[in-house]
Amino acid sequence: MSSERLKKRLPVPYTDFLPELLKRNYGRWVDRRFHGYGIIEHVSETGERVFTVKVGTPPNFRFSTDTLRRFADIAERHGIGALRMTRSGNIEFLAGSLEAAQRIREEVEGMGFPVGGWGPTIWSINSCTAFLTCTTAVVDSPSITKVLYDHLKPYFTGEKTLPAKLRINVSGCPSGCGGYVADIVLVGHYGDAPTYDPDRIKLCLPRSSKALEAGHVPEVAMVCPTGAIKVYGKEDGSVGMDIIRSKCIACGRCRDVCDWIDFDPDKAGVALLVGGKSSNTGRGPLMARQVIPWIPAVPPEYREIVAVVKKIIDVWRETARPGERLGEWLERIGIEEFYKMLDIPITKWNKPVKITGEFGIRQFL
Amino acid sequence: MGERDPVDVGMEILRYYEEGPWPSHVKELKKTRYPMEAYAMGMAQRKTAWAAGSAKIRYVYTGFISRRTRDGKITELHFRVWQPSGQIYTTDFLRKILDFADKYGLGLIEIAGQQGQMIISVRNEVADEAVDALRAIGTDIGATGDTIRELATCVGPALCEFALYDTLAARDYYLTHPKIYEWMSNQLFPFKFKMKFSGCPFDCTRASHRSDFGLVGIWEGAPEVDHEALNEKIGKGEVDPRELAGSCPSGAITWDEKERRLNIDGAKCKKSMECIRKAFPAIKPGRNRKIAVLVGGKVKGRFGPMMAKPLAIVNTYEEAADFVVKTVEAWMEGNTPHKDRIADFIFRTGFTKYLEMLNVRPQGKPANHPRLVAGAVLDDEERRLYGDWARKIVEQYGL
Repeated sequence: MSSERLKKRLPVPYTDFLPELLKRNYGRWVDRRFHGYGIIEHVSETGERVFTVKVGTPPNFRFSTDTLRRFADIAERHGIGALRMTRSGNIEFLAGSLEAAQRIREEVEGMGFPVGGWGPTIWSINSCTAFLTCTTAVVDSPSITKVLYDHLKPYFTGEKTLPAKLRINVSGCPSGCGGYVADIVLVGHYGDAPTYDPDRIKLCLPRSSKALEAGHVPEVAMVCPTGAIKVYGKEDGSVGMDIIRSKCIACGRCRDVCDWIDFDPDKAGVALLVGGKSSNTGRGPLMARQVIPWIPAVPPEYREIVAVVKKIIDVWRETARPGERLGEWLERIGIEEFYKMLDIPITKWNKPVKITGEFGIRQFL
Repeated sequence: MGERDPVDVGMEILRYYEEGPWPSHVKELKKTRYPMEAYAMGMAQRKTAWAAGSAKIRYVYTGFISRRTRDGKITELHFRVWQPSGQIYTTDFLRKILDFADKYGLGLIEIAGQQGQMIISVRNEVADEAVDALRAIGTDIGATGDTIRELATCVGPALCEFALYDTLAARDYYLTHPKIYEWMSNQLFPFKFKMKFSGCPFDCTRASHRSDFGLVGIWEGAPEVDHEALNEKIGKGEVDPRELAGSCPSGAITWDEKERRLNIDGAKCKKSMECIRKAFPAIKPGRNRKIAVLVGGKVKGRFGPMMAKPLAIVNTYEEAADFVVKTVEAWMEGNTPHKDRIADFIFRTGFTKYLEMLNVRPQGKPANHPRLVAGAVLDDEERRLYGDWARKIVEQYGL
């Protein structure tokens, strides 16, 4: 009984889950055509065609079952009765004709969901869960994502276009579940060394200093990459903890393993990184670099964050060549020039970083 | 007049996000039984209300996370649910999932968590039977903690013209690989383990930096050119051959005006897909297909985010299994500290030594990059400096 229950029931093989139309044409797709910024036509060598309609989703990709049921109805009414959840949290409806795809578009737009996100547009703003469920979040990425999307929606639908594709990742803390490699990356952090809850920190420390004498290092100190957390035995036999500010890099690993690491919300903000990409197009994959170490994160409007992101997009739009991703543009104009264009103050936390070498599969070539 | 209840303050802030042109997560949440007070509390105090909670499900050790608010008043439990390879749902299957989320949960689904899994909120008191119900539908929970996490694939041959290997079959193969299957039910690793399968160099799954093992489809030599079809496209004005040559990042393309032939130097080609995406299907990936295996990409873990390193080029996805098993076993054994990812393990071991351990001949030019940082320890003066700078831009935009 128990051994039976240990076994997982994995959703394999994939053939059990694919709609018939895709199964028939599996591996036989030979051509594609774009119809605007939200519909792609896929042509099979059998002559069959599928039209995918890409739909933007609420921050953190959260849906009520009610909305998803209405989507399922639409997929059945006009589509081939199938949907795809993309890696970036968008939903793609599958349709059998361009007319059907247009009807899907009208219906989802009628429900308030935008269609777009292919070509020189915003493909998605990826947000972690933050205050919705997360224990380590410092700022609330879903609400930041909502205001960014509200301001940038025309870049998703294609009403306004960009030099190239743009991805934005928003993470509530330096654990970076939203991802560190995108054109624009926002990461919430303390803005200072963390503090801790003086009463409850003992839940993360051994009860007696004898444990330290025996060589035990509590996890909250062990995970620190810079040795900034010191634990020590007190005279009364209990265990104390210090966070050494001069060593701390505000990476948040301590809070990842101990809920009672704390911070001052007035000092918390977001770091902004630019120029990352995964795809091997153009200059190849690139890492993102921290160019602005701290922007205040003040709900509900997050004005400072919106303004800085808009500014970066505008500068890129004005000076990039067609097809040039933000990171490639940055490589061409030079990182110092970027700092000058935006008049960014420089401290030791955002010294301009040059990238050498190539990443991803380019390392083989 | 006492201080206002933070939940009321938070609810007022949250109402702001119900407006605006983009779909609102708050509106969606309000249509479910999600505890809005917890979110409101977080917004009011500008700190997450959540701390780690606990839940127990008989003989299930991975795939669910429990939370409770720091004041202990509200608990929350969610399942991480395996998606079928390719993440394509027939409406029949989707409706079964929706019924499940209504019956056992809060009527709330995160359609793609950061690993790519579907995240379904579940009521604590029915968690045990919910696992059985999910299994009856044909999927399961998994991928939390120090174990096998989501193995993610692009849409691959199911709906993409560029897939150079069968990424869906590859994911199925690794999910059911006896070793991985054995590991995924327990918490035996120093930290999490992820794999990603991208069918072509576009790398839609972000295998180049978000997985311990990333398999990316490539080809050897030059892309295949159908000169007749290409000339037809040129004739129709769909493709400009000079622009095609100019946009090749490695300068591998030359256009012979006299012969009306596009020549691509396979030795120079960096598989950027630039010519292919502009002139497809007249230009296609070459026929000699391979899989590039990248190792050690990650965001979390001791030494911070890292881009993946080049491990090997293989002919089939099965060939990489040996690397995966040997690496994971070495990482599990020995003295790897808790919360060290495979990249941290390789960093400590040294990449050359790691390759020796696997008996792999070094290939290509592994790139080093500066430490990827997000965050800063600033004093009041520095925060004011950046705050003032940002507020100037706010004024500029009249926000």
